[in-house]
Amino acid sequence: MLTIFAAAVLASLAPMQGESDTTIAVPAGASLTVNNFGGAIVVHAWNQNRVKVHAEHGSRGRIEVSLLGNTVTVKASSRMGAPSVVDFEITVPQNMALNLSGTYTEIQVDGVKGPISAETVDGSIEVSGGSGIITLHSIQGSVTLADATGRIEVNSVNESVELSNVSGQIKAETTNGDVSLMGIKSASVEATTINGDVVYEGTITDGGTYTFNSHNGDITVSVQEGANVTISVATANGDIDASFPLPLTRTDRGHRYTFKLGTGSARMEAESFQGDIQLRRPSEMQMQHKDKDKDRNHEEN
Amino acid sequence: MNDKWTDRLSEYVDGELPAEERTALEAHLTTCADCRAILEELRKVVARGRALDDRGPKADLWPGVAKRIGAGKVVDIRSRRFSFNVPQLIAASIALVVVSGGGMWLALHGSAPETRTPVANVGQTVIQNVRGVETSRTDAAIADLQDALTRNESRLDTATVRVVRENLALIDRAISQARLALDADPGNAYLNLHLADTMRRKLELLRRVNAIATAQS
Amino acid sequence: MADAEAVDTALAASGDASAFERLYRTHVNRVHSLVRRMLDADEADDLTQDVFVRAWQKLSTFRGESAFGTWLHRLAVNVVLARRKTLGVERGRFQAGEDPLEHVSARRVTPEISMDFEEALSNLPDGARQVFVLHDVEGYRHEEIARMLGVVPGTSKSQLHHARMALRRYLDR
Repeated sequence: MLTIFAAAVLASLAPMQGESDTTIAVPAGASLTVNNFGGAIVVHAWNQNRVKVHAEHGSRGRIEVSLLGNTVTVKASSRMGAPSVVDFEITVPQNMALNLSGTYTEIQVDGVKGPISAETVDGSIEVSGGSGIITLHSIQGSVTLADATGRIEVNSVNESVELSNVSGQIKAETTNGDVSLMGIKSASVEATTINGDVVYEGTITDGGTYTFNSHNGDITVSVQEGANVTISVATANGDIDASFPLPLTRTDRGHRYTFKLGTGSARMEAESFQGDIQLRRPSEMQMQHKDKDKDRNHEEN
Repeated sequence: MNDKWTDRLSEYVDGELPAEERTALEAHLTTCADCRAILEELRKVVARGRALDDRGPKADLWPGVAKRIGAGKVVDIRSRRFSFNVPQLIAASIALVVVSGGGMWLALHGSAPETRTPVANVGQTVIQNVRGVETSRTDAAIADLQDALTRNESRLDTATVRVVRENLALIDRAISQARLALDADPGNAYLNLHLADTMRRKLELLRRVNAIATAQS
Repeated sequence: MADAEAVDTALAASGDASAFERLYRTHVNRVHSLVRRMLDADEADDLTQDVFVRAWQKLSTFRGESAFGTWLHRLAVNVVLARRKTLGVERGRFQAGEDPLEHVSARRVTPEISMDFEEALSNLPDGARQVFVLHDVEGYRHEEIARMLGVVPGTSKSQLHHARMALRRYLDR
């Protein structure tokens, strides 16, 4: 058993063009912090108590891997002071908590089971897996999260946010892009954008709160048969369209309408300034989603 | 007596004869008293048809209709695409306020239908005050952050600066659209909240970008 | 008045039955008369109810581009025409030389002249009656009537003429 937990271990890798590899053992419950100014951070998981860091870099690049107490820190810096581009591929124990950040950095994570924080300015974030507190932020890139559970906050500014097969408390936000939430199991969902559509396909559970907001885009929400939910919809310029009966219980002067389904236990708010509000059954949503994929594939061909 | 022109008289009455035939018929009418008589009668029939008054059913049919549409219990609109054009409804609800006088009420958060407040009075003032306070505070915060961003901008690369500015402009457009709509309909709860939310989004974006800019040291 | 109707239409479209009742009261006489003239008095009550129930169901599709009355009216015509198909009603066109109103014997002269005119109308052969009601009473054009009834415009024109010719004897009764 390696006994380097109490000491700082500094591994400074050769400043030559090409690749470098280093592997260190870590204690259970350790966390990983990666700071990469430019390049990629790709994280995979395995069930060993070690962290393996593979880096590809230019001649100026310098990689530092250190373990202090419970935290593994991986840093890319440059000998000359000007930032360099490094591509990291890191394999971590499944339950390791991740803190990944960069500026011109693309972040990809898969197979992990612990909490994740990923932040970048110009780069997309793609995460598959994760549990606990998950925070993903990008300014210019899109953010995608799949197969995760926990307290989740994902946002972008200039691109879309997509969640699939995610459960827990969810907050998804962007400014210039769509928010797409599919296969969601949650009692607390907040999805907002300014210039984009919001799509929600997931459960509506008793006592839950669901808030969907856009300025310019359409809001499409699935409501399963037998859902108990009070739905409040508002739009200044759009249409409201449901494929099932909507007992109107209240009309607030101008723009906002309240409908009550079943006991009305959950609370939903679907509001768009310019766009349409569409309430659908789950089966209709899957078809719509499939068609979208078809279109996308078709375009790519 | 019927002659070959008799059958064309209805078309003539309705102005549907082609020009040539109309001339020929009119020539014929000057010589044919029978046709003139029939023409006159046809015109009367048409006039009578138009003047038929609408007599309604002897019994009141409404109860039968009400029963079939399920009026009187929780409105259950039959399975169909339930879609209504909101601008139409908006126009309707504005008219409602005018037409129904004291019967309308403005639903503020939590207020019950029983507490009917004339729309023009209390409700509206409250909303306007809330709006006034909230937006002026937010305006100040936004102004501060915008100054900070201008100072810190040089620490961000040009692409990021461009994207941030574009998105701030996007939010600004949304804010001014919301403001315009609110000016036309000041007491509107949804529009008030939407404006406040959108301004908050701008604030958050500015904060976030400033944080990034200052961290780039 | 038109504004109040737009308000009621919007309310009814969102499920307000009282608003719909107000619309019913305003338009029931006209709808009933249309139905009565195109079919017959026995069916008119039932069919009038059918028209309003259908209007309630379809109200969400009414976009407010025309007046509500116009929309309702067109809906009523469609209900009547559908009913005719179901009944397998014979078009009953005029044959040359026959006067189907011969059997209408001398009636008691009543003060209501239009009463007899309407009675005569109801005794016209079916096809001629439809065309007369749609064209002279309701104001549709031959092209539309032809489409509705599944005939060519020429047939619509000749049936109209026959109807008018037959009815002129009942003007002054």
